[in-house]
Amino acid sequence: MILYSFDALNAGYGEKTVIDGISGGIKGGRITALIGPNGGGKSTLLRLLGGLGSYKGTLSLNGREVSGMTRRDFGRIVGFLPQNINVRAAFSVYEVISLGRLPFHGALEPVGQKDDEIIIESAELAGVGHLLFRKVTELSGGERQRVLFAMTLAQKPNVFLLDEPTSALDPSHAHRIFSLLRILASEGKSVVAAVHDLNSAVSFCDDYIALRSGKIASCGEMARLDEKILYELYGIRFCRYRSEDGKTAWHPE
Amino acid sequence: MSSAEALSEHRRMLCRRRVRFAALLCAALFLTAIWRLGAGEWNIPASRVAALLNPFLDESMRALPEALVVRTIRLPRLLAAVGCGGLLAVAGAVLQGLLTNALAEPYTLGIAAGAAFGGALGFFIDSYAIVPMAFVGAMSSLWLVSLIALRGGGGASGIVLAGVIMNAILSAGVTFLKAIADDRLGAIVLWLMGSLSGASPAAAAVVWGASLVLLVPAFVCARRIDACSLSEGQGELLGIEEKKLRWLMLTASSLATAAVVSFFGIIGFVGLVIPHLIRSFIGPSTRPLIVFCFLAGGLLLALADGAAQAMGELPVGVITALIGGPFFCWILISRNRP
Repeated sequence: MILYSFDALNAGYGEKTVIDGISGGIKGGRITALIGPNGGGKSTLLRLLGGLGSYKGTLSLNGREVSGMTRRDFGRIVGFLPQNINVRAAFSVYEVISLGRLPFHGALEPVGQKDDEIIIESAELAGVGHLLFRKVTELSGGERQRVLFAMTLAQKPNVFLLDEPTSALDPSHAHRIFSLLRILASEGKSVVAAVHDLNSAVSFCDDYIALRSGKIASCGEMARLDEKILYELYGIRFCRYRSEDGKTAWHPE
Repeated sequence: MSSAEALSEHRRMLCRRRVRFAALLCAALFLTAIWRLGAGEWNIPASRVAALLNPFLDESMRALPEALVVRTIRLPRLLAAVGCGGLLAVAGAVLQGLLTNALAEPYTLGIAAGAAFGGALGFFIDSYAIVPMAFVGAMSSLWLVSLIALRGGGGASGIVLAGVIMNAILSAGVTFLKAIADDRLGAIVLWLMGSLSGASPAAAAVVWGASLVLLVPAFVCARRIDACSLSEGQGELLGIEEKKLRWLMLTASSLATAAVVSFFGIIGFVGLVIPHLIRSFIGPSTRPLIVFCFLAGGLLLALADGAAQAMGELPVGVITALIGGPFFCWILISRNRP
Protein backbone atom coordinates (compact mmCIF):
# COMPACT_ATOMS: atom_id res chain seq x y z
CA MET A 1 0.00 0.00 0.00
CA ILE A 2 1.45 3.35 -1.04
CA LEU A 3 1.20 5.99 1.71
CA TYR A 4 2.93 8.92 0.07
CA SER A 5 3.66 9.34 -3.59
CA PHE A 6 5.54 12.24 -5.13
CA ASP A 7 6.49 13.23 -8.61
CA ALA A 8 8.92 15.96 -9.76
CA LEU A 9 8.82 17.31 -6.20
CA ASN A 10 10.67 20.59 -5.83
CA ALA A 11 11.04 22.75 -2.74
CA GLY A 12 13.46 25.16 -1.12
CA TYR A 13 13.99 28.30 0.88
CA GLY A 14 14.06 31.53 -1.12
CA GLU A 15 16.32 31.00 -4.12
CA LYS A 16 17.93 27.86 -2.69
CA THR A 17 16.56 24.54 -3.96
CA VAL A 18 16.67 21.89 -1.23
CA ILE A 19 14.48 19.17 -2.77
CA ASP A 20 15.35 18.90 -6.44
CA GLY A 21 12.69 17.24 -8.58
CA ILE A 22 12.46 13.90 -6.78
CA SER A 23 9.94 11.21 -7.67
CA GLY A 24 8.98 8.07 -5.79
CA GLY A 25 6.83 6.79 -2.98
CA ILE A 26 6.72 5.65 0.65
CA LYS A 27 4.91 2.45 1.64
CA GLY A 28 2.43 2.39 4.50
CA GLY A 29 2.68 0.14 7.56
CA ARG A 30 6.47 0.21 7.47
CA ILE A 31 9.34 2.17 8.97
CA THR A 32 11.16 4.21 6.35
CA ALA A 33 14.48 5.82 7.22
CA LEU A 34 15.57 9.02 5.51
CA ILE A 35 19.36 8.87 5.49
CA GLY A 36 22.07 11.01 3.99
CA PRO A 37 24.59 13.71 4.80
CA ASN A 38 23.72 17.01 6.50
CA GLY A 39 21.98 19.44 4.16
CA GLY A 40 20.83 16.60 1.91
CA GLY A 41 17.14 17.54 2.28
CA LYS A 42 15.91 15.01 4.88
CA SER A 43 14.27 17.54 7.22
CA THR A 44 12.80 19.50 4.30
CA LEU A 45 11.29 16.33 2.81
CA LEU A 46 9.84 15.43 6.23
CA ARG A 47 8.31 18.91 6.52
CA LEU A 48 6.74 18.55 3.06
CA LEU A 49 5.33 15.14 4.03
CA GLY A 50 3.85 16.87 7.09
CA GLY A 51 2.18 19.49 4.90
CA LEU A 52 4.54 22.24 6.02
CA GLY A 53 5.96 24.49 3.31
CA SER A 54 5.12 25.00 -0.32
CA TYR A 55 6.32 22.83 -3.16
CA LYS A 56 6.17 22.34 -6.92
CA GLY A 57 5.24 19.02 -8.49
CA THR A 58 2.84 16.57 -6.90
CA LEU A 59 2.79 15.08 -3.41
CA SER A 60 -0.11 12.98 -2.19
CA LEU A 61 -0.95 11.28 1.11
CA ASN A 62 -3.30 8.32 0.77
CA GLY A 63 -4.20 9.64 -2.68
CA ARG A 64 -5.05 13.18 -1.51
CA GLU A 65 -2.89 16.07 -2.69
CA VAL A 66 -1.09 17.40 0.38
CA SER A 67 -1.49 21.07 -0.58
CA GLY A 68 -5.29 20.62 -0.55
CA MET A 69 -5.41 19.30 3.03
CA THR A 70 -6.05 21.51 6.07
CA ARG A 71 -3.83 21.65 9.15
CA ARG A 72 -6.59 19.96 11.13
CA ASP A 73 -6.57 17.05 8.63
CA PHE A 74 -2.84 16.69 9.27
CA GLY A 75 -3.23 17.02 13.03
CA ARG A 76 -5.58 14.04 13.01
CA ILE A 77 -3.58 11.83 10.65
CA VAL A 78 0.07 12.80 11.09
CA GLY A 79 2.15 13.04 14.25
CA PHE A 80 5.25 15.14 13.60
CA LEU A 81 8.20 15.24 15.98
CA PRO A 82 10.57 18.02 14.89
CA GLN A 83 14.25 18.21 15.69
CA ASN A 84 15.53 20.24 18.66
CA ILE A 85 12.40 21.92 20.03
CA ASN A 86 13.29 24.37 22.75
CA VAL A 87 10.17 24.62 24.93
CA ARG A 88 10.43 27.87 26.89
CA ALA A 89 7.02 27.90 28.58
CA ALA A 90 7.03 26.12 31.94
CA PHE A 91 4.16 23.71 31.21
CA SER A 92 3.93 20.48 33.17
CA VAL A 93 4.72 17.28 31.28
CA TYR A 94 1.02 16.34 31.52
CA GLU A 95 -0.02 19.67 29.96
CA VAL A 96 2.41 19.23 27.05
CA ILE A 97 1.30 15.67 26.30
CA SER A 98 -2.37 16.67 26.58
CA LEU A 99 -1.85 19.12 23.70
CA GLY A 100 -1.53 16.04 21.48
CA ARG A 101 -5.30 15.58 21.89
CA LEU A 102 -5.96 19.10 20.54
CA PRO A 103 -6.82 18.08 16.93
CA PHE A 104 -9.72 15.99 18.25
CA HIS A 105 -11.27 18.65 20.49
CA GLY A 106 -13.60 21.58 19.94
CA ALA A 107 -12.33 24.96 21.14
CA LEU A 108 -14.04 24.82 24.54
CA GLU A 109 -14.07 21.04 24.98
CA PRO A 110 -12.14 19.99 28.09
CA VAL A 111 -9.69 17.09 28.32
CA GLY A 112 -11.90 14.11 29.18
CA GLN A 113 -11.32 10.85 31.01
CA LYS A 114 -10.67 8.97 27.75
CA ASP A 115 -8.07 11.60 26.83
CA ASP A 116 -6.46 11.21 30.25
CA GLU A 117 -6.11 7.46 29.68
CA ILE A 118 -4.43 8.12 26.31
CA ILE A 119 -2.14 10.76 27.84
CA ILE A 120 -1.02 8.48 30.69
CA GLU A 121 -0.53 5.55 28.30
CA SER A 122 1.54 7.73 25.92
CA ALA A 123 3.66 9.07 28.79
CA GLU A 124 4.38 5.55 30.03
CA LEU A 125 5.21 4.25 26.54
CA ALA A 126 7.69 7.10 26.06
CA GLY A 127 9.19 6.48 29.51
CA VAL A 128 8.07 9.77 31.09
CA GLY A 129 5.15 8.47 33.16
CA HIS A 130 7.04 9.26 36.36
CA LEU A 131 7.61 12.89 35.26
CA LEU A 132 3.95 13.76 34.64
CA PHE A 133 3.78 16.75 37.01
CA ARG A 134 7.30 18.08 36.55
CA LYS A 135 7.84 21.33 34.62
CA VAL A 136 9.11 20.56 31.13
CA THR A 137 11.66 23.38 31.43
CA GLU A 138 13.33 21.55 34.33
CA LEU A 139 13.96 18.38 32.32
CA SER A 140 17.11 17.28 30.50
CA GLY A 141 17.25 17.43 26.69
CA GLY A 142 16.62 13.69 26.40
CA GLU A 143 13.67 13.74 28.80
CA ARG A 144 12.21 16.68 26.90
CA GLN A 145 12.54 14.82 23.61
CA ARG A 146 10.68 11.86 25.13
CA VAL A 147 7.92 14.19 26.40
CA LEU A 148 7.44 15.57 22.89
CA PHE A 149 7.45 12.03 21.52
CA ALA A 150 4.74 11.18 24.07
CA MET A 151 2.74 14.18 22.81
CA THR A 152 3.04 12.78 19.28
CA LEU A 153 1.87 9.36 20.54
CA ALA A 154 -1.12 11.03 22.24
CA GLN A 155 -2.27 12.24 18.82
CA LYS A 156 -2.85 8.56 17.95
CA PRO A 157 -1.78 9.28 14.37
CA ASN A 158 -1.65 6.79 11.52
CA VAL A 159 1.56 8.34 10.26
CA PHE A 160 4.58 9.29 12.37
CA LEU A 161 7.06 11.76 10.90
CA LEU A 162 10.11 11.93 13.13
CA ASP A 163 13.12 14.17 12.61
CA GLU A 164 16.04 12.49 14.35
CA PRO A 165 13.81 11.16 17.16
CA THR A 166 16.69 9.77 19.20
CA SER A 167 19.29 12.52 18.71
CA ALA A 168 19.27 13.51 22.43
CA LEU A 169 18.67 10.03 23.85
CA ASP A 170 21.03 7.55 25.51
CA PRO A 171 21.32 4.09 23.83
CA SER A 172 18.81 2.54 26.23
CA HIS A 173 16.07 5.10 25.57
CA ALA A 174 16.87 5.22 21.85
CA HIS A 175 16.43 1.43 21.73
CA ARG A 176 13.16 1.75 23.62
CA ILE A 177 11.79 4.35 21.19
CA PHE A 178 12.78 2.34 18.09
CA SER A 179 11.32 -0.84 19.62
CA LEU A 180 8.09 1.06 20.20
CA LEU A 181 8.11 2.26 16.59
CA ARG A 182 8.51 -1.39 15.49
CA ILE A 183 5.41 -2.30 17.53
CA LEU A 184 3.48 0.62 16.02
CA ALA A 185 4.49 -0.48 12.51
CA SER A 186 3.33 -4.03 13.28
CA GLU A 187 -0.07 -2.52 14.21
CA GLY A 188 -0.27 -0.92 10.75
CA LYS A 189 1.05 2.55 11.58
CA SER A 190 3.52 4.14 9.18
CA VAL A 191 6.75 5.74 10.31
CA VAL A 192 9.08 8.00 8.34
CA ALA A 193 12.15 9.05 10.32
CA ALA A 194 15.21 11.10 9.43
CA VAL A 195 18.02 9.10 11.02
CA HIS A 196 21.75 9.73 11.36
CA ASP A 197 22.46 6.57 13.35
CA LEU A 198 22.89 4.06 10.53
CA ASN A 199 22.95 1.08 12.87
CA SER A 200 19.58 1.97 14.42
CA ALA A 201 18.24 2.45 10.90
CA VAL A 202 19.54 -0.97 9.81
CA SER A 203 18.23 -2.69 12.95
CA PHE A 204 14.74 -1.20 13.06
CA CYS A 205 13.75 0.22 9.66
CA ASP A 206 12.22 -1.67 6.75
CA ASP A 207 13.04 0.76 3.92
CA TYR A 208 15.37 3.64 3.28
CA ILE A 209 15.49 6.72 1.10
CA ALA A 210 19.01 8.11 0.73
CA LEU A 211 19.03 11.84 -0.02
CA ARG A 212 22.06 13.74 -1.22
CA SER A 213 21.98 17.35 -2.47
CA GLY A 214 18.18 17.28 -2.68
CA LYS A 215 18.05 14.21 -4.93
CA ILE A 216 17.32 10.56 -4.16
CA ALA A 217 20.70 8.85 -4.38
CA SER A 218 19.22 5.44 -3.66
CA CYS A 219 16.11 3.87 -2.13
CA GLY A 220 14.63 0.48 -1.40
CA GLU A 221 14.53 -2.16 1.29
CA MET A 222 17.05 -1.69 4.09
CA ALA A 223 18.63 -5.08 3.35
CA ARG A 224 19.82 -3.66 -0.01
CA LEU A 225 21.98 -1.01 1.66
CA ASP A 226 25.63 -1.74 0.84
CA GLU A 227 29.15 -0.27 0.99
CA LYS A 228 28.87 1.27 -2.48
CA ILE A 229 25.66 3.16 -1.70
CA LEU A 230 27.10 4.43 1.60
CA TYR A 231 30.33 5.53 -0.07
CA GLU A 232 28.38 7.44 -2.75
CA LEU A 233 26.21 8.98 -0.05
CA TYR A 234 28.76 10.06 2.55
CA GLY A 235 32.03 10.04 0.60
CA ILE A 236 33.77 7.71 3.07
CA ARG A 237 34.14 3.94 3.16
CA PHE A 238 32.12 1.84 5.62
CA CYS A 239 32.82 -1.67 6.91
CA ARG A 240 29.98 -4.10 7.47
CA TYR A 241 30.02 -6.29 10.60
CA ARG A 242 27.68 -9.17 11.32
CA SER A 243 26.90 -10.46 14.78
CA GLU A 244 26.36 -14.16 15.52
CA ASP A 245 22.58 -13.68 15.45
CA GLY A 246 22.80 -12.16 11.96
CA LYS A 247 22.42 -8.46 12.81
CA THR A 248 24.32 -5.98 10.64
CA ALA A 249 26.34 -3.00 11.85
CA TRP A 250 28.14 -0.35 9.80
CA HIS A 251 31.24 1.53 10.87
CA PRO A 252 33.36 4.03 8.95
CA GLU A 253 36.74 2.61 8.03
CA MET B 1 -0.86 5.41 43.78
CA SER B 2 -1.70 4.86 40.09
CA SER B 3 -1.06 7.57 37.50
CA ALA B 4 -4.82 8.21 37.14
CA GLU B 5 -5.19 8.70 40.91
CA ALA B 6 -2.10 10.92 41.00
CA LEU B 7 -3.60 12.98 38.16
CA SER B 8 -6.90 13.43 40.04
CA GLU B 9 -5.03 14.47 43.18
CA HIS B 10 -2.86 16.90 41.16
CA ARG B 11 -6.00 18.44 39.60
CA ARG B 12 -7.62 18.90 43.03
CA MET B 13 -4.43 20.53 44.34
CA LEU B 14 -4.28 22.89 41.32
CA CYS B 15 -7.97 23.75 41.73
CA ARG B 16 -7.55 24.53 45.45
CA ARG B 17 -4.50 26.73 44.71
CA ARG B 18 -6.34 28.64 41.97
CA VAL B 19 -9.45 29.17 44.09
CA ARG B 20 -7.32 30.53 46.96
CA PHE B 21 -5.42 32.83 44.59
CA ALA B 22 -8.65 34.07 42.93
CA ALA B 23 -10.21 34.72 46.34
CA LEU B 24 -7.13 36.70 47.37
CA LEU B 25 -7.22 38.84 44.20
CA CYS B 26 -10.99 39.41 44.46
CA ALA B 27 -10.66 40.45 48.12
CA ALA B 28 -7.84 42.85 47.22
CA LEU B 29 -9.94 44.27 44.36
CA PHE B 30 -12.91 44.70 46.70
CA LEU B 31 -10.81 46.55 49.30
CA THR B 32 -9.26 48.69 46.56
CA ALA B 33 -12.74 49.53 45.25
CA ILE B 34 -13.87 50.62 48.75
CA TRP B 35 -10.79 52.83 49.02
CA ARG B 36 -11.08 54.32 45.55
CA LEU B 37 -14.82 55.02 45.81
CA GLY B 38 -14.73 56.39 49.34
CA ALA B 39 -11.44 58.25 49.67
CA GLY B 40 -10.49 61.51 47.97
CA GLU B 41 -10.96 65.25 48.43
CA TRP B 42 -14.30 64.34 49.95
CA ASN B 43 -14.13 61.22 52.17
CA ILE B 44 -17.35 59.22 52.05
CA PRO B 45 -17.88 56.21 54.41
CA ALA B 46 -18.11 52.79 52.77
CA SER B 47 -21.69 52.23 53.98
CA ARG B 48 -22.74 55.52 52.38
CA VAL B 49 -20.93 54.60 49.14
CA ALA B 50 -22.80 51.27 49.06
CA ALA B 51 -26.12 53.10 49.51
CA LEU B 52 -25.28 55.62 46.77
CA LEU B 53 -24.36 52.83 44.32
CA ASN B 54 -27.82 51.26 44.63
CA PRO B 55 -29.10 51.06 41.02
CA PHE B 56 -32.64 51.79 42.23
CA LEU B 57 -31.63 55.01 44.00
CA ASP B 58 -34.42 57.57 43.66
CA GLU B 59 -33.97 60.70 41.56
CA SER B 60 -33.65 63.13 44.47
CA MET B 61 -30.80 61.11 46.00
CA ARG B 62 -29.04 60.82 42.61
CA ALA B 63 -28.84 64.61 42.41
CA LEU B 64 -26.95 64.86 45.73
CA PRO B 65 -23.35 66.11 45.28
CA GLU B 66 -21.87 63.05 47.01
CA ALA B 67 -23.93 60.75 44.74
CA LEU B 68 -22.66 62.63 41.69
CA VAL B 69 -19.06 62.30 42.89
CA VAL B 70 -19.37 58.55 43.52
CA ARG B 71 -21.53 57.62 40.53
CA THR B 72 -20.21 59.87 37.76
CA ILE B 73 -16.58 60.51 38.75
CA ARG B 74 -15.15 57.84 41.07
CA LEU B 75 -17.02 54.76 39.76
CA PRO B 76 -16.21 55.38 36.05
CA ARG B 77 -12.58 56.08 37.01
CA LEU B 78 -12.36 52.85 39.03
CA LEU B 79 -14.06 50.82 36.27
CA ALA B 80 -11.79 52.38 33.63
CA ALA B 81 -8.69 51.57 35.72
CA VAL B 82 -9.73 47.94 36.29
CA GLY B 83 -10.77 47.50 32.64
CA CYS B 84 -7.60 49.10 31.23
CA GLY B 85 -5.27 47.22 33.56
CA GLY B 86 -7.02 43.90 32.97
CA LEU B 87 -7.11 44.39 29.22
CA LEU B 88 -3.43 45.36 28.94
CA ALA B 89 -2.36 42.41 31.10
CA VAL B 90 -4.43 39.94 29.04
CA ALA B 91 -3.08 41.39 25.78
CA GLY B 92 0.48 40.91 27.10
CA ALA B 93 -0.22 37.32 28.23
CA VAL B 94 -1.76 36.36 24.88
CA LEU B 95 0.94 37.96 22.75
CA GLN B 96 3.82 36.60 24.84
CA GLY B 97 2.39 33.09 24.45
CA LEU B 98 1.47 33.33 20.82
CA LEU B 99 4.72 34.96 19.68
CA THR B 100 6.86 32.85 22.08
CA ASN B 101 8.56 36.06 23.14
CA ALA B 102 8.84 37.19 26.76
CA LEU B 103 8.92 40.86 25.74
CA ALA B 104 5.90 40.84 23.43
CA GLU B 105 3.03 43.13 24.42
CA PRO B 106 0.99 45.73 22.52
CA TYR B 107 3.52 48.45 23.39
CA THR B 108 6.64 46.63 22.21
CA LEU B 109 4.78 45.74 18.99
CA GLY B 110 4.43 49.41 18.04
CA ILE B 111 0.67 49.62 18.59
CA ALA B 112 0.93 52.12 21.44
CA ALA B 113 3.51 54.16 19.52
CA GLY B 114 1.04 54.30 16.61
CA ALA B 115 -1.68 55.54 18.97
CA ALA B 116 0.74 58.07 20.48
CA PHE B 117 1.67 59.41 17.04
CA GLY B 118 -1.96 59.57 15.91
CA GLY B 119 -3.08 61.22 19.17
CA ALA B 120 -0.23 63.75 19.08
CA LEU B 121 -1.20 64.56 15.50
CA GLY B 122 -4.77 65.01 16.73
CA PHE B 123 -3.62 67.85 19.00
CA PHE B 124 -2.73 69.81 15.83
CA ILE B 125 -6.25 69.35 14.43
CA ASP B 126 -8.74 69.66 17.27
CA SER B 127 -9.18 68.34 20.83
CA TYR B 128 -12.04 66.15 19.53
CA ALA B 129 -9.67 64.59 17.00
CA ILE B 130 -7.27 63.18 19.64
CA VAL B 131 -9.19 59.98 20.48
CA PRO B 132 -10.16 58.99 16.90
CA MET B 133 -6.70 59.92 15.58
CA ALA B 134 -5.04 57.82 18.29
CA PHE B 135 -7.25 54.88 17.35
CA VAL B 136 -6.48 55.30 13.65
CA GLY B 137 -2.77 55.59 14.50
CA ALA B 138 -2.79 52.32 16.47
CA MET B 139 -4.59 50.40 13.75
CA SER B 140 -2.36 51.90 11.01
CA SER B 141 0.68 50.82 12.98
CA LEU B 142 -0.71 47.27 13.22
CA TRP B 143 -1.36 47.31 9.47
CA LEU B 144 2.23 48.39 8.75
CA VAL B 145 3.68 45.84 11.19
CA SER B 146 1.57 43.16 9.50
CA LEU B 147 2.68 44.25 6.06
CA ILE B 148 6.38 44.19 6.98
CA ALA B 149 6.09 40.89 8.87
CA LEU B 150 4.12 39.20 6.08
CA ARG B 151 6.72 40.23 3.50
CA GLY B 152 9.27 38.58 5.77
CA GLY B 153 7.30 35.31 5.95
CA GLY B 154 4.82 36.13 8.73
CA GLY B 155 6.79 34.37 11.48
CA ALA B 156 6.51 35.27 15.16
CA SER B 157 10.03 36.71 15.37
CA GLY B 158 9.33 38.76 12.22
CA ILE B 159 6.26 40.32 13.87
CA VAL B 160 8.22 41.25 17.00
CA LEU B 161 11.08 42.75 14.96
CA ALA B 162 8.66 44.66 12.70
CA GLY B 163 6.96 45.96 15.87
CA VAL B 164 10.27 47.10 17.35
CA ILE B 165 11.17 48.93 14.13
CA MET B 166 7.72 50.55 13.89
CA ASN B 167 7.98 51.55 17.55
CA ALA B 168 11.30 53.30 16.87
CA ILE B 169 10.03 55.11 13.76
CA LEU B 170 6.78 56.28 15.36
CA SER B 171 8.51 57.34 18.59
CA ALA B 172 10.79 59.50 16.45
CA GLY B 173 7.64 60.87 14.79
CA VAL B 174 6.17 61.75 18.20
CA THR B 175 9.42 63.51 19.17
CA PHE B 176 9.22 65.49 15.93
CA LEU B 177 5.62 66.51 16.64
CA LYS B 178 6.60 67.57 20.17
CA ALA B 179 9.45 69.65 18.73
CA ILE B 180 7.05 71.64 16.53
CA ALA B 181 4.16 71.70 19.02
CA ASP B 182 4.86 75.16 20.54
CA ASP B 183 2.09 75.87 23.09
CA ARG B 184 0.52 72.43 22.61
CA LEU B 185 3.66 70.70 23.97
CA GLY B 186 2.49 70.52 27.61
CA ALA B 187 -0.85 68.96 26.70
CA ILE B 188 0.78 66.39 24.40
CA VAL B 189 3.37 65.39 27.02
CA LEU B 190 0.70 65.03 29.72
CA TRP B 191 -1.54 62.93 27.45
CA LEU B 192 1.38 60.72 26.43
CA MET B 193 2.21 59.98 30.06
CA GLY B 194 -1.22 58.46 30.58
CA SER B 195 -3.90 59.40 33.07
CA LEU B 196 -7.28 58.10 34.15
CA SER B 197 -8.32 61.35 35.82
CA GLY B 198 -10.81 62.32 33.12
CA ALA B 199 -12.47 58.92 32.81
CA SER B 200 -16.09 59.39 31.76
CA PRO B 201 -18.80 56.70 32.04
CA ALA B 202 -18.73 56.43 28.23
CA ALA B 203 -14.94 55.92 28.17
CA ALA B 204 -15.21 53.25 30.89
CA ALA B 205 -17.93 51.51 28.87
CA VAL B 206 -15.74 51.57 25.73
CA VAL B 207 -12.83 50.05 27.67
CA TRP B 208 -15.00 47.23 29.02
CA GLY B 209 -16.40 46.65 25.54
CA ALA B 210 -12.84 46.50 24.20
CA SER B 211 -11.97 44.02 26.96
CA LEU B 212 -14.66 41.69 25.63
CA VAL B 213 -13.25 42.04 22.09
CA LEU B 214 -10.02 40.55 23.45
CA LEU B 215 -11.23 38.27 26.25
CA VAL B 216 -13.77 36.26 24.23
CA PRO B 217 -11.41 35.10 21.42
CA ALA B 218 -8.55 34.67 23.92
CA PHE B 219 -10.69 32.40 26.10
CA VAL B 220 -12.04 30.41 23.14
CA CYS B 221 -8.59 29.99 21.52
CA ALA B 222 -6.71 29.44 24.80
CA ARG B 223 -5.71 25.80 24.19
CA ARG B 224 -4.54 26.65 20.67
CA ILE B 225 -2.45 29.50 22.07
CA ASP B 226 -0.93 26.97 24.51
CA ALA B 227 0.12 24.77 21.59
CA CYS B 228 1.69 27.71 19.74
CA SER B 229 3.52 28.84 22.89
CA LEU B 230 5.49 25.55 23.04
CA SER B 231 7.69 26.88 20.23
CA GLU B 232 7.19 28.59 16.89
CA GLY B 233 5.63 26.20 14.39
CA GLN B 234 4.50 23.64 16.99
CA GLY B 235 0.87 24.74 16.64
CA GLU B 236 0.92 23.85 12.94
CA LEU B 237 2.01 20.31 13.85
CA LEU B 238 -1.00 19.98 16.15
CA GLY B 239 -3.50 20.92 13.47
CA ILE B 240 -3.70 24.68 14.10
CA GLU B 241 -3.63 27.37 11.41
CA GLU B 242 -0.98 29.21 13.38
CA LYS B 243 -0.70 32.29 11.15
CA LYS B 244 -4.47 32.85 11.13
CA LEU B 245 -4.65 32.49 14.91
CA ARG B 246 -1.73 34.89 15.31
CA TRP B 247 -3.37 37.58 13.19
CA LEU B 248 -6.76 37.10 14.85
CA MET B 249 -5.31 37.59 18.33
CA LEU B 250 -2.98 40.37 17.21
CA THR B 251 -5.93 42.26 15.73
CA ALA B 252 -8.08 41.73 18.85
CA SER B 253 -5.19 42.84 21.12
CA SER B 254 -4.54 45.89 18.95
CA LEU B 255 -8.20 46.96 18.86
CA ALA B 256 -8.44 46.63 22.64
CA THR B 257 -5.15 48.43 23.29
CA ALA B 258 -6.03 51.17 20.81
CA ALA B 259 -9.20 51.86 22.83
CA VAL B 260 -7.16 52.21 26.04
CA VAL B 261 -4.41 54.40 24.59
CA SER B 262 -6.89 56.58 22.69
CA PHE B 263 -8.75 57.54 25.85
CA PHE B 264 -6.09 57.39 28.52
CA GLY B 265 -2.66 57.69 26.85
CA ILE B 266 0.35 55.41 27.31
CA ILE B 267 0.12 53.21 30.41
CA GLY B 268 3.20 51.01 30.22
CA PHE B 269 4.53 47.92 32.01
CA VAL B 270 1.14 46.43 33.02
CA GLY B 271 1.09 44.22 29.91
CA LEU B 272 4.69 43.17 30.48
CA VAL B 273 4.90 42.62 34.23
CA ILE B 274 1.54 41.11 35.18
CA PRO B 275 1.67 38.06 32.83
CA HIS B 276 5.17 37.16 34.06
CA LEU B 277 4.11 37.57 37.68
CA ILE B 278 0.94 35.49 37.29
CA ARG B 279 2.76 32.75 35.34
CA SER B 280 5.13 32.32 38.28
CA PHE B 281 2.10 31.55 40.51
CA ILE B 282 -0.21 29.48 38.30
CA GLY B 283 1.90 28.34 35.32
CA PRO B 284 1.68 29.23 31.62
CA SER B 285 -1.66 27.59 30.72
CA THR B 286 -3.51 30.35 28.83
CA ARG B 287 -7.12 29.90 30.00
CA PRO B 288 -6.53 30.38 33.74
CA LEU B 289 -3.73 32.84 32.92
CA ILE B 290 -6.03 35.31 31.16
CA VAL B 291 -8.57 35.21 34.00
CA PHE B 292 -5.94 35.89 36.66
CA CYS B 293 -4.14 38.45 34.49
CA PHE B 294 -7.38 40.38 34.09
CA LEU B 295 -7.94 40.44 37.85
CA ALA B 296 -4.31 41.25 38.73
CA GLY B 297 -3.89 43.83 35.93
CA GLY B 298 -7.08 45.56 37.01
CA LEU B 299 -5.96 45.53 40.64
CA LEU B 300 -2.49 46.91 39.84
CA LEU B 301 -3.81 49.78 37.73
CA ALA B 302 -6.55 50.66 40.23
CA LEU B 303 -3.91 50.83 42.97
CA ALA B 304 -1.49 52.78 40.77
CA ASP B 305 -4.26 55.22 39.82
CA GLY B 306 -5.08 55.69 43.50
CA ALA B 307 -1.42 56.39 44.24
CA ALA B 308 -1.21 58.79 41.27
CA GLN B 309 -4.27 60.67 42.50
CA ALA B 310 -2.99 60.79 46.09
CA MET B 311 0.28 62.33 44.83
CA GLY B 312 -1.54 65.22 43.17
CA GLU B 313 -2.75 63.61 39.93
CA LEU B 314 0.61 62.35 38.71
CA PRO B 315 0.37 60.54 35.34
CA VAL B 316 -0.53 56.92 36.12
CA GLY B 317 1.93 55.72 33.42
CA VAL B 318 4.75 57.10 35.58
CA ILE B 319 3.55 55.11 38.61
CA THR B 320 3.16 51.84 36.66
CA ALA B 321 6.65 52.27 35.17
CA LEU B 322 8.16 53.07 38.59
CA ILE B 323 6.51 50.01 40.18
CA GLY B 324 6.71 47.73 37.14
CA GLY B 325 10.31 48.31 36.11
CA PRO B 326 12.07 47.24 39.33
CA PHE B 327 9.46 44.51 39.86
CA PHE B 328 10.19 43.07 36.41
CA CYS B 329 13.91 43.07 37.24
CA TRP B 330 13.13 41.17 40.45
CA ILE B 331 11.08 38.58 38.53
CA LEU B 332 13.93 38.11 36.02
CA ILE B 333 16.58 37.73 38.74
CA SER B 334 14.53 35.36 40.93
CA ARG B 335 13.46 33.23 37.94
CA ASN B 336 17.00 32.69 36.71
CA ARG B 337 18.48 32.13 40.17
CA PRO B 338 19.82 28.55 40.42
